[in-house]
Amino acid sequence: MANTFELSVITPEKGVLETVAVSVTIPAYDGELGVLAHRAPLLVKLGAGWMRIETAEGQKLRLLVSGGFAQMGDNKLAVLTEQAKAPEELDTARARAAMEAAEAMVVTDDASFEARARALRFAKEMAKAAGE
Amino acid sequence: MANRRVLVKRRKAARNIRKITRTMQLVATARFQAAFNRVVAARPYTEKLAQVVSDLSRALGSDTDAQHSLLKAQHDTGRVALVVITSNRGLCGAYNANVLRKASAFLEQQSAEGRSVDVHMMGKKGVSYFRFLKRPMVEENVDIGDIPRFESVEPVADALMAKFLAGQVSAVHLAFMKFLSAGQQRAEIVQLLPLAEPAESGATGGSNLDYELLPDAESLLSDLLPATVRARLFQAFQEAAVSEQVARMVAMKAATDAAEDMIRRLTQEYNRARQTAITMELLDIVGGANALA
Repeated sequence: MANTFELSVITPEKGVLETVAVSVTIPAYDGELGVLAHRAPLLVKLGAGWMRIETAEGQKLRLLVSGGFAQMGDNKLAVLTEQAKAPEELDTARARAAMEAAEAMVVTDDASFEARARALRFAKEMAKAAGE
Repeated sequence: MANRRVLVKRRKAARNIRKITRTMQLVATARFQAAFNRVVAARPYTEKLAQVVSDLSRALGSDTDAQHSLLKAQHDTGRVALVVITSNRGLCGAYNANVLRKASAFLEQQSAEGRSVDVHMMGKKGVSYFRFLKRPMVEENVDIGDIPRFESVEPVADALMAKFLAGQVSAVHLAFMKFLSAGQQRAEIVQLLPLAEPAESGATGGSNLDYELLPDAESLLSDLLPATVRARLFQAFQEAAVSEQVARMVAMKAATDAAEDMIRRLTQEYNRARQTAITMELLDIVGGANALA
């Protein structure tokens, strides 16, 4: 049996990626988490950060994601995220806009604190990637 | 003859109108295709989310303590919210009128039951209609447009959820044009909050896997449910956008057909007028010749 599994990355607007992967690293809410083929069923909340993918063809991909969930089951990994951007899609103008939006968020409780922290981290990563 | 010249002018006007409405029809067709593709592209997210929620609520079991506050009906505060989704642009037939009629009927029904309604109006057409009637709205949002983006729908959903959780309203309803198929759309009132039972008793055929949950089930659920609400609202916006394009397509088709009819009638009238004029002239000539002979 091949040591690969199906991966799909879905946002509310569209399916971003559909591929067969060897290994995937996802930014969970409390740190990074690596997934290999035939992993035990898992449901995890995501934070913000880079998702690293190694496809069956040996290709290495990166996606910047923010918020949502990842579900592993039946050797299929589904990543439901509110935003997923490939490095090519990022530019400084967008990063700046995201940063401003994140800074303008008002914290009233734990959930909004978390959301703001996540948005800030997402914007920072965007800026870094765009600056490269 | 003056009559003929008027007919020529009117026919030209009808031709121009036909040209414009036909173009608008083609544009609406293209937009409809694009909007329809967006709805199809968004479907996997909603479906997957529903599956995850039902898996998770199965894992939680029928533990009544785990009932999330977005699912529970709040005590009746005598106040509900209604989100009305209309278009920013006109020339789409009875599209907005149908949605607004449905919304008005809902308002009357609620006030008959002694509840007041906070109207959240989306789209310029609805805003100007309610202003004309001098009905109060708590929110006027004209920024979403006919290509709804998740980023712009999200704050609307979050504001509604905050309002619901704070107990300001006991329910949130949506009035929008539901897209059933390319040939059928219907204005509907749909309840957004409290969320209807997410698990349709295994209807999704979800797997009975023993998930490893990070963090624990309850905090996962308290993140998943808001995500579901956002996805549902986003879907409503998208369906409304598709329906709008269909309505515009149909309206412009009708306008083009009507213009065609009018051109045919005007052409007929013009030809008759021309023939009458020729006959008159001939009669004049013949009459003149006879008088000389």
